[in-house]
Amino acid sequence: MSYSDKVIDHYSNPRNVGTLDKKDPNVGTGLVGAPECGDVMRLQLKINPETQIIEEAKFKTFGCGSAIASSSLATEWIKGRTVSDALAIKNTDIVRELALPPVKIHCSVLAEDAIKAAITDWKQRHTEAVLAPAETAKA
Amino acid sequence: MPDALSPTVHADHFAVFGLSRRLHLDLAALEKEFYRQSRKLHPDRFARAAATEQQAALQRTSQLNDAYRTLAEPIPRIAYLLELEGVRRRDERVDADGGRANQVPTELLEEVFELNMALDEARSGGLDDPGTRRQLAEAQEDFQSKLGTVDTALLERAAAWDRARDAGESGGEILQQISGLLDRRNYLQNLLRDVAAVLSPTP
Repeated sequence: MSYSDKVIDHYSNPRNVGTLDKKDPNVGTGLVGAPECGDVMRLQLKINPETQIIEEAKFKTFGCGSAIASSSLATEWIKGRTVSDALAIKNTDIVRELALPPVKIHCSVLAEDAIKAAITDWKQRHTEAVLAPAETAKA
Repeated sequence: MPDALSPTVHADHFAVFGLSRRLHLDLAALEKEFYRQSRKLHPDRFARAAATEQQAALQRTSQLNDAYRTLAEPIPRIAYLLELEGVRRRDERVDADGGRANQVPTELLEEVFELNMALDEARSGGLDDPGTRRQLAEAQEDFQSKLGTVDTALLERAAAWDRARDAGESGGEILQQISGLLDRRNYLQNLLRDVAAVLSPTP
């Protein structure tokens, strides 16, 4: 199986690899995996609660070239976008952009799952951060 | 002349050998039956048979080979049973339209992610450093022992499923546990493969 040029580009020169502070209330972390191929993907987003804009996106993926390329592309796409724009990204968009073959479609699904998981985590943590002081005040 | 053959379609690989769905099999008996049927289906015996008959024999031989290959090894046998019972799909977590199948527990993902990070770090330390080599060797030992634990648990759960089936229960919960153990096993095997590749790279 041969990879497309875009996959090779993202794989050999991945964008936005790294870590954000997990404890920052504005950071959401999504950890997803595909056990059949042994892939794990962690995506972290720093989101401005006022503007709902994703200011920072970092990923770390252990897996095949397509999984790394899918997550790299995803971070490129969502940086600077709003939360609702990011949630509108479908795995099929990634498949098209990277010309992934059918056996690698699950890599794109992993990236879509990671975006959703990170945003869900951010929403949860952010709500908690907003509510927690109020709860403490009441007690 | 052999009996007239029909391209019988068996319900599943177990049925090819006249077995019911069980995870523990008598491997010696399985092998014996495999050879018996293989002889019966050998192309030489159909040299002068009609074309349709020859075709049927070929088809059944390929079905027999598939069934034997799958059932003779414990892990493929377990994976196949999970597929049959609708617990998971072959190889892929999703189908073409992106529908989700198996969900992985977060604790497992966190553990695997951490193990990968540690492996990454050890790798970047450079293999000339004896400390890195030792760390990797330790990781290898650790993964191996974890794999052993998973395999023991798999065998135990497999026996439990057989007992549940013998008692007329569905054993669905046990199959879910088995599926989780298989996921863990896949991750560990990949980690082991990665460590081995770093420690003794093939030229």
